[in-house]
Amino acid sequence: MSPPSPDWQVTRRRVLIGLGGAGTLLVGALIGLDRGRPAIVNLIEERGTGPQNAPTTPDLWFEITPEHLVFYSPKVEMGQGIHTALAQIAAEELEVSPSQLDVRQAPSSRGFDGRVMFTFGSSSVNALYTPLRQAAATLREMLRAEAARQLDVPANQLSASGGCFFVRGGRRFLSYGDVVAAKQGEWTVPDAPPILKEKAAFTTIGRSIPRVDVRAKLLGEATYGYDARVPGMLYGAVARPPRYGARLSFAAPGQVQRAPGVVQVVIDLAANFAGVVADTRTQARAAVEQLNLRWEGGTTINQDELERLVTADEAGAVVLRRRGNVGTALRRGTLVEAQYRTPLAAHAHLEPLAALAQVQGKEVKVWVPTQYPERIIQDVQATLGRGYNVTVYPTLLGGSFGRKAGQSAAPEAARLSAAVGRPVHVGWTREEDLRHGFFRLPTHTVLRGSVDGRGRILGVEQFSASGNIVWNFEDMPGGILTQNLLGFDPGVLIGRFLPYDLPNYRVVNKQVKLPVLTGPWRGLGLLPNTFALESFVDELAHAAGVDPLAFRLRHLPQTREGRRFRRVLETAAQRSGWGTAAPPGRARGIACCMDVHTAVAQVAEVSVEQGQIRVHRITAAVDPGFVVNPQGATLQATGSIVMGLSSALKEQIQVRGGMMQTANFDTYPLLTLAETPEINVVLVESGEIPYGMGEPVIGAVAPAVANAVFALTGTRTRTLPLALM
Amino acid sequence: MKLQVNGRLHEVRHGDEALVWVLRDELGLTGTHYGCGIGMCGSCTVLVNGEATRSCQMPARAAQGQAITTLEGLATRSSGGEVRLHPVQQAFLESPLQCLWCIPGHVMTAVALLDAVPRPSTEQIEAHANRNLCRCGGYNTIRKAVARAVELTREEA
Repeated sequence: MSPPSPDWQVTRRRVLIGLGGAGTLLVGALIGLDRGRPAIVNLIEERGTGPQNAPTTPDLWFEITPEHLVFYSPKVEMGQGIHTALAQIAAEELEVSPSQLDVRQAPSSRGFDGRVMFTFGSSSVNALYTPLRQAAATLREMLRAEAARQLDVPANQLSASGGCFFVRGGRRFLSYGDVVAAKQGEWTVPDAPPILKEKAAFTTIGRSIPRVDVRAKLLGEATYGYDARVPGMLYGAVARPPRYGARLSFAAPGQVQRAPGVVQVVIDLAANFAGVVADTRTQARAAVEQLNLRWEGGTTINQDELERLVTADEAGAVVLRRRGNVGTALRRGTLVEAQYRTPLAAHAHLEPLAALAQVQGKEVKVWVPTQYPERIIQDVQATLGRGYNVTVYPTLLGGSFGRKAGQSAAPEAARLSAAVGRPVHVGWTREEDLRHGFFRLPTHTVLRGSVDGRGRILGVEQFSASGNIVWNFEDMPGGILTQNLLGFDPGVLIGRFLPYDLPNYRVVNKQVKLPVLTGPWRGLGLLPNTFALESFVDELAHAAGVDPLAFRLRHLPQTREGRRFRRVLETAAQRSGWGTAAPPGRARGIACCMDVHTAVAQVAEVSVEQGQIRVHRITAAVDPGFVVNPQGATLQATGSIVMGLSSALKEQIQVRGGMMQTANFDTYPLLTLAETPEINVVLVESGEIPYGMGEPVIGAVAPAVANAVFALTGTRTRTLPLALM
Repeated sequence: MKLQVNGRLHEVRHGDEALVWVLRDELGLTGTHYGCGIGMCGSCTVLVNGEATRSCQMPARAAQGQAITTLEGLATRSSGGEVRLHPVQQAFLESPLQCLWCIPGHVMTAVALLDAVPRPSTEQIEAHANRNLCRCGGYNTIRKAVARAVELTREEA
């Protein structure tokens, strides 16, 4: 399960060559620190920590032998199709068929910068698109120069195709493997930077090539985190508190040490930890239930108290944006006031948290489904000690949606493995997973706006209260001080601002520290914010007596962003039949949003049957800049729509006595196949840079549905999940 | 006790545990997945005497003497060692879901349906497919893939 671990020589232009081993060429690339991360984080880190150490291992690398051509991906595959997208980007410049490229997951022993290995924020394709092409093109040119030498022709007489160099006008050729096999001496990196292919010459990028990870998954041969195995391993289970924040004040093994299959009971009161290692998972879980434990403290919060905490008002709030004079504007025209709430929600990825850890002396290996391998290293070192050398082997992820950015099964497995001296796998139950993670933040948004007699918005005032996202999740440089100075969580800014031309606009934010842990959930603040804002814009449109599509279009700014919004809105409207009569008993609603520069518009067509909202059709137009793989992008969009609909119609977590009342899919129902409408996704492009596809589409679903419900019934639903009284 | 899985007999030590754990942890057949443990998500679906069964809801002992088929047991190998996918697997290869942790449920449920009803109606496909969850939201792909599997099965027959 371990890829090669060579020493690397740093050469010119951030290219690295792996040393040692004839018949193998290892070429790596450093792609730098600053792509795809929030500017605020960048700023804090650069000021706080100074320059990074000089890199000695690559972020991306290729391995060529006579037998294979391997690309090691720093990004993890969680169903978003990133291994396929990266394979086709690399294959394009390498002039190979994507099926000739073997994509493997890179372990954490590569890459100096944590954030390159962090798979997050719909940023992978955007961040790697150019660096990966440059690395692949550099490799191609190194091979070309060597092939020219071996064939004794000028390099410009060689054309590359299908993993071979052909001599123009002749029959002679060499495969890349042949070139590597016959190479004598050291490889060198060419002086000139490689010339990247023109978009018009692409044969692989932009096509729906088959996914590289699917066949093994269909055969049952793929390794997800729950599937990780090594010889001699045991199974662990861990005790969970009955209330959030409760501390273990007493723990005794009782009779558990003599229970069937139990190998060891591990108790560490200072670390708030009690767990059992056993021969089987079922034995370990049964034994944990029998431990004699006493928990003290923690929260006893109930749902109504939680909602009172999350109440938007001026107390302790900070102003995020101020334009014009809202107070004056709201005293003119027709005033509209409304407030919206979104609940705590779970990720509900179908593979619960899991990790396999092997501690041998000071060496720790962890196989874990994680978006954030560096975080695993930190967490394991925080558990075992700074002196431990931790290598993370990310597995496939059975869904994540942000949850597996934190992954506490890994330090748990490491603690148990260190105690018992053998490899230990910890796999959470669904109940543990739904109750003891972190959740999508609850929000409350109060909006006031006014429109004039000509159907234009005079001003909007927007108060929001919400839990934390990033602050709870990251050990941010500056810590508490930065949080208090800023007064807002960067994650809640996603989707927070109306994209329209507003002469008077004021946005106020109140950040609330909750006793229930909230953190990254697909799109961060995007879904809650877009639900409130795009519902409210609909309310303003109706107050102004203007068609909701026309109302949005007339308020879009004359900017590139505004033009991209216009195009997706018009496309979704046209494809959905907006402006024509809906089928009997149905109505349509429209909404739009933007995240990671990807513009999204959706039209929902709904009916109400016996008081229940039924969604029949969703039409989405999405502009992610440039599309690398249409099938992959469409799956991401469709999946976001279904997950967004699930949130809009069904999902909520209620807290009682400091604990979730939901524990499994019987009490936390997800959208089912029978409830899934016809979904049409139209991809539109607006340039040559791919933005992101993982999250942006999730924003517009709930408001599109709520707006359709209003169009049909005249009733405005302002709380998720949507329900008619 | 012994279990017959994918045509082979295996000695099993922990027959009182749920079949899903015996298959995965004792026999190493990790193609069958755990998702909820209460029989709702369908990720642990296997065939027991041809019937789609939640392996998290069945003690391994209860499957004694019956033929168990898991995701690993569907594909066949030609004499040349070439792997030949089951038509349902082939259909999902053409129309993939995203993370595919749920795939045992969708594939095994469709296999059981097609074995029992070679030409199922759209309503039958819908009712069977609705038994399993997919958090990545691939439900319309599942509808398409099962319909395609019906076609592929007919072509093979």
